[in-house]
Amino acid sequence: MSTATIGQAYNYKVVRQFVIATVFWGVVGMAMGVWIASQLVWPDMNLDLPWTTFGRLRPLHTSLVIFGFAGSAQFAASYYAVQRTCQVRLYSDKLAAFTFWGWQSVIVIMLITLPMGYTTTKEYAEIEFSGAGWMAVVWVAYAIVFFTTVVQRKTKHIYVGNWFFGAFILVIAMLHVVNHLSIPVDWFKSYPVYSGATDAMVQWWYGHNAVGFFLTTGFLGMMYYFVPKQVNRPVYSYRLSIVHFWALITLYIWAGPHHLHYTALPDWAQSLGMAMSLILLAPSWGGMINGMMTLSGAWHKLRTDPILRFLVLSLAFYGMSTFEGPMMAIKTVNALSHYTDWTIGHVHAGALGWVAMITFGATYHMVPKVFGREQMYSTPLINLHFWLATIGTVLYIASMWVNGITQGLMWRAINEDGTLTYSFVEALQASHPGFIVRFAGGVFFLSGMLLMAYNVWRTVRVADVALARSQAQIA
Amino acid sequence: MDIFLNVLGVVFLWLAVEYCLRHQTSESLDDASMVPFADDPEVARRVELATGKTVKAVAPEEAKPGWINLEM
Repeated sequence: MSTATIGQAYNYKVVRQFVIATVFWGVVGMAMGVWIASQLVWPDMNLDLPWTTFGRLRPLHTSLVIFGFAGSAQFAASYYAVQRTCQVRLYSDKLAAFTFWGWQSVIVIMLITLPMGYTTTKEYAEIEFSGAGWMAVVWVAYAIVFFTTVVQRKTKHIYVGNWFFGAFILVIAMLHVVNHLSIPVDWFKSYPVYSGATDAMVQWWYGHNAVGFFLTTGFLGMMYYFVPKQVNRPVYSYRLSIVHFWALITLYIWAGPHHLHYTALPDWAQSLGMAMSLILLAPSWGGMINGMMTLSGAWHKLRTDPILRFLVLSLAFYGMSTFEGPMMAIKTVNALSHYTDWTIGHVHAGALGWVAMITFGATYHMVPKVFGREQMYSTPLINLHFWLATIGTVLYIASMWVNGITQGLMWRAINEDGTLTYSFVEALQASHPGFIVRFAGGVFFLSGMLLMAYNVWRTVRVADVALARSQAQIA
Repeated sequence: MDIFLNVLGVVFLWLAVEYCLRHQTSESLDDASMVPFADDPEVARRVELATGKTVKAVAPEEAKPGWINLEM
C-alpha cells in the first residue's frame, strides 16, 4: 500500500442530517402507505374527511417515500461517497446546509398542500407550481455542491459511482423543469403548457424516468460505492460498470411511452417505448450481475453480515423487477396488466425490494461512521429488520400479482353475446383478500422501518465525538 | 423513424464507451476500482490481502482546527 498525505476533513454534518431525515421520512411515508392500504381493506379508514381520503393521501405517500425517504437517502449517500472517493471536503458548507433545509422545506410543502387538495394531478409531480419552482432552486444548489466537489477532487479518476450520481442529478433537473412547465393562475394552481396526448407523453416521459433516474440511477451510484465497501472487494468489472452507465442512460429515457399503450399516443411511439424497454433489460442485468459478482470469493460474509444481506437482496430484487418491467412493457402483456394491481406490485418490487433495501444497507453502513461509533447499537435488530422487510416485500408483491392477474382476466372476460361476464364490483370483491395480504405486508415492512429508527436512535444517542472526528479525516 | 432512432442510440452508446475507455488499460481500470478504499488505510490493507492488488491509499493526517464540524 503506497501512502501519501492530504489535508482537510469531510463535511459529515450534512450527511448526518440527511441520514436522520431519511429515517424520519421513511417512517412517516411508509406509515402513510400502510394507512391507505388499510383504506382499501376497511373503507371507513378514510375517516370521512376530505383531507384523509385515498385520493389525497396516495400522492402524499408516494411523494414522502420518493422525495422524503429516497431523496434524502440519495443526498446523504452522494455527499458521503463523493467526498470519500474524491478525497476532498464537500464544496461550500453553507450551500450544502441550504440543500438540506431547502429539501426538507419542499417535503413539508408536500405534506401540507397535498392533503389540502392542491395538486397538478401529474403522478409523482403533484406538487404545484410554486413548490415545484422552489424544488428546482434547491436542486440547482445540489448540482453546484456535487459537481464543484467533483471538479475540486484530489484523485485523478472520477469513480463510476459519481457518474451515476451526476447523471441522476442532471437528468432529474431536466425532467422536473420540462414536466412542470405551466401557466400559473395563482400560487397553488397552474395549468400545463402541453395539452392532450402531448401532455400525457411529457408526463410519462417524466414519470418513467422518475423511476429510471430518481429511483434507479442514483441508487446504482449507491450500489457501486457501498457494495464494494461493505464486502471489502473492488467492483467485479470496472469496464462493465462503464458500459452499464452509458447503456442505461442511453436507453432509459426512451422507455416512457410504455405507460401509454393502447391510448391516443401514436402507435409508433408506443412501439418505440416497448422496444426500448425490452433492450433496457441488458444494461439493467449487466449492472445487477456486476454488483452480485463483486461478492466473488466473499459469499461467506452473507452468513454473518446483515448489512451486506440487505445490499445483495436489493440487487436480487433489482434484477427481478427489471426483468418484470420489460415483460410488462410488451403490448400484449400490458393489455392484461395495465390498470390492475400487477402494476402496483411491480412498482413495489422495485420500491421496497430495491430502493428501500439498498437504502437500509447504505444507512446501516454510514450511521456508525458519521456518528463516531464502531458499529450499530444492535446487529440482531438489523437482522430482524432484514427478515421483516423481506417477508413484507414478498407478501406485498405476491398479493398484487394474484390480484392483478385476477382483475385483468375478469375485466376482459365476455359472454357469448359480447356482454361483460363480470361487473367492476365483482372484480373488486375478488381483490379484497389480496388487499388484506398487501396490508399485512405493509405492516411487516413498516415494523422493520420502526426497528431501524430505534436502532439508529440508540446509536446516535451515544455518538462519540472523538471517533467521529478521526473518521471525518480525509485519510 | 424508430429504426433511425435505434441506430442513433447504438452509435451514441458505442462512441461514449469508446471515448471513456480511450486511454484506459487493465491496470488503470484496476486502480480506478480501488478508489473507494483509497481513503481508508485499514480497509485498504484488508482488500490488498484479499485481492493481491495494490490500493494507492493515503495516510491519515492530524485534524486542522476549524475544519471539522461535529455539532451532534
